[in-house]
Amino acid sequence: MNDLLEDEGRGGERERIEPFGQRGLTGDSSELLPAEPSVIMPITKKAKAIVIALVGAGLLVIPWVSSLGILNAAIKALIAALFALAFNLLMGQAGLLSFGQAAFFGIGGFATIHLMKSTAHGLAVPIVLLPVAGGLAGLVLGLGSGWFATKRTGAYFAMITLAVAELLYAISLRWTGVFGGEAGISSMRMPWAGFTFGSAGEVYYLVMVWVLGCSFLLYLYNQTPFGRLTLAIRNNENRIRFLGYDTHKTKVVIFGISAMFSGIAGSLLAIAEESVSFAVFDANVSAMVVLQTFIGGCNTFLGPAVGAAVLTFFAQEISDISRSWLLYEGVIFVLVMMFMPNGIGGMFGELYRMVQGKNRKTPKPGPSLRHFLRVTFATAVVFSAIIFSVEACGILFSEKYSAMRRAAGNHWVGFDLFGARWNPNTPWLWVTPALLFAIGLFLLPHVGATLRGKIKKFR
Amino acid sequence: MEFFVVSALNGIVYGILLFMVSAGLTLIFGMMSVLNFAHASFYMIGAYVGYISTGCWGFWQGLILAPLLVGGGGMVVERYCLRRVHKFGHAYELLLTFGIAFIIAETVKLFFGPAPVDYPVPPQLRFAAFTIYGTQYPFYRVLMGAISVSMFIFLFGVIKFTRIGIIVRAAVHKPQMVNALGYNVPLVFMGVFGVGAALAGLAGSVAGAFYPTSPNMALDLGLIVFVVVVVGGLGSLEGAFLASMIIGLSTSFVVGINWCLADVFGLVGMGERFRSMGGVFTVELNSVAGLLPYAFMLIILVVRPAGLLGEKQAAL
Repeated sequence: MNDLLEDEGRGGERERIEPFGQRGLTGDSSELLPAEPSVIMPITKKAKAIVIALVGAGLLVIPWVSSLGILNAAIKALIAALFALAFNLLMGQAGLLSFGQAAFFGIGGFATIHLMKSTAHGLAVPIVLLPVAGGLAGLVLGLGSGWFATKRTGAYFAMITLAVAELLYAISLRWTGVFGGEAGISSMRMPWAGFTFGSAGEVYYLVMVWVLGCSFLLYLYNQTPFGRLTLAIRNNENRIRFLGYDTHKTKVVIFGISAMFSGIAGSLLAIAEESVSFAVFDANVSAMVVLQTFIGGCNTFLGPAVGAAVLTFFAQEISDISRSWLLYEGVIFVLVMMFMPNGIGGMFGELYRMVQGKNRKTPKPGPSLRHFLRVTFATAVVFSAIIFSVEACGILFSEKYSAMRRAAGNHWVGFDLFGARWNPNTPWLWVTPALLFAIGLFLLPHVGATLRGKIKKFR
Repeated sequence: MEFFVVSALNGIVYGILLFMVSAGLTLIFGMMSVLNFAHASFYMIGAYVGYISTGCWGFWQGLILAPLLVGGGGMVVERYCLRRVHKFGHAYELLLTFGIAFIIAETVKLFFGPAPVDYPVPPQLRFAAFTIYGTQYPFYRVLMGAISVSMFIFLFGVIKFTRIGIIVRAAVHKPQMVNALGYNVPLVFMGVFGVGAALAGLAGSVAGAFYPTSPNMALDLGLIVFVVVVVGGLGSLEGAFLASMIIGLSTSFVVGINWCLADVFGLVGMGERFRSMGGVFTVELNSVAGLLPYAFMLIILVVRPAGLLGEKQAAL
């Protein structure tokens, strides 16, 4: 459909390439990716209702069955899910890649913490309404910076958003009166309508209601004509302009809405932690939401939310066991970028269609379930090799291990990993990951075939 | 006057370092339209290679090893990762390099820990080159400057006056046509990516000895280098040089100036009043030196999005 304009409208070598415009997801790779990226998958109403009921019930019972640590991780996961959804409104639906979403996340947090301080001094604002302040702060900043940012596209847009976030980060460190300097600003949750909000359980429900409510609003946004316009701008902005829309204004509004929901996410974090510091503006916060959204799958509605929630939850839980979680997350991200650009969410869509046995969208038959299981297994084997080597290196290069070596007279000493004892003197430490890696590669259909071919040639 | 001369010298050396790293980045962008987020990570790897080499063999071996290893690594990244993602569009290429930068930073932390490592300037180079206004100017700064200037001349010469340069420049403008003429364009791309990475690696091994070598150096320098190439105009080597100098000099001068907003109001006799208000009005200019490049980039992007000397407009 959009080829029509593309071929006539392209003037010489000056192509205009949008992040996911003509050349991106709907262009030459159409056989790889679903034609209508935001439509999730043709799930029957009954299946949908069952899934929603199960997830809802699961979310409701978490405070009753889990420990405090898990509950806190779940709060963080919910907030990350909302943040990813807000980011994906910009990225997945409008095709605008922002590297500075932390600016709005942080500003929402600071707005909320200031209001919270006022309530502690007697201002009668119920705590459940505090995220509104965060949302408003995000919206105002979003409309302001969005007006500049959306004038440009592609890498320039990304650079402007990055610069805005970096500016805020630098300012927040210096401007102690508003941002509290290095220590940040702390406050207290005030009781409201019989709830004290003193326990993690009550905070969890507050966060959950806000996250689910905002997610539902974002879902509804998709169904409105304006939501359709958002998709259309990503697919072919020129055509929308010819149809008489003011695309710049539209993009500013989209940017503002995304910033507003990011602000709400930041404000929920402020409520949960009762403090905010300059660290919310850190480039890492913006980086994390990009990683998580793309791992989850930016072309599905729920993919980013699920991806962000799961990854954040694991990050919280695993941080005691392994220091290398971020490394694994980076590796997963790169693998997803290379081998399944639709993310985990897109993969589940494929899988669903595979199980249903109808591959209506793609003319040629898709890969079989057996193929899929084989790839999954092989990837898992390769990944276990990576995890083994990383963890072993983590121990071998740690301060603790070099102290152990010095104590043992500069000899290699054994260490415990995965319930076994490994000694660098014995070959097993090196053979195990190499073997796992080789097995995994051979099991991967394409790589295995190439490797077997090369070995045959060599003989 | 003393402040002026010393600041100018420091600014030029810093600017020249910025140029060393941004040259490769802007070259890669001009050619493949890929904004390489991992470029500053190549710089960091270069610094760590230099550090290891100083410990095992020597400082000078590091200067040779770093560009070779990093350049080779860059070629592998281009051949096996970037080329694969190319068909999904430029956004995916950018995100892939972003992920690779993330992995490199975490891997460095895994092996060397999050703290800075001790990578000193070799003792035989630790002497003063000359003395100005009673301050001795370190020879190593002059050496860094000399290495980058010779690099700039070499690069400029190769691109403008040799056959390889002509092919590279042609491949930037019309890749399909160059391919049709029988040149292996993917190979040219891989070569440019490798050379760009090697330059960053060399810059890392030289500058790592002077500035702190830590896992954060990629992020710290990377953002500034992005600013440089965007301000200079994506894809323009001369623009990158100009922008490096402007940003190097301006940060170097601003660090030495301790004016604040209240002083500006002081010109109209309201200084004390604003000073008593505190907050933004008493923030000294030198404490916000880090802000300057970003503010500069925002202005450029809004006023002249193609950059100072850029030709390519708005392609990702």
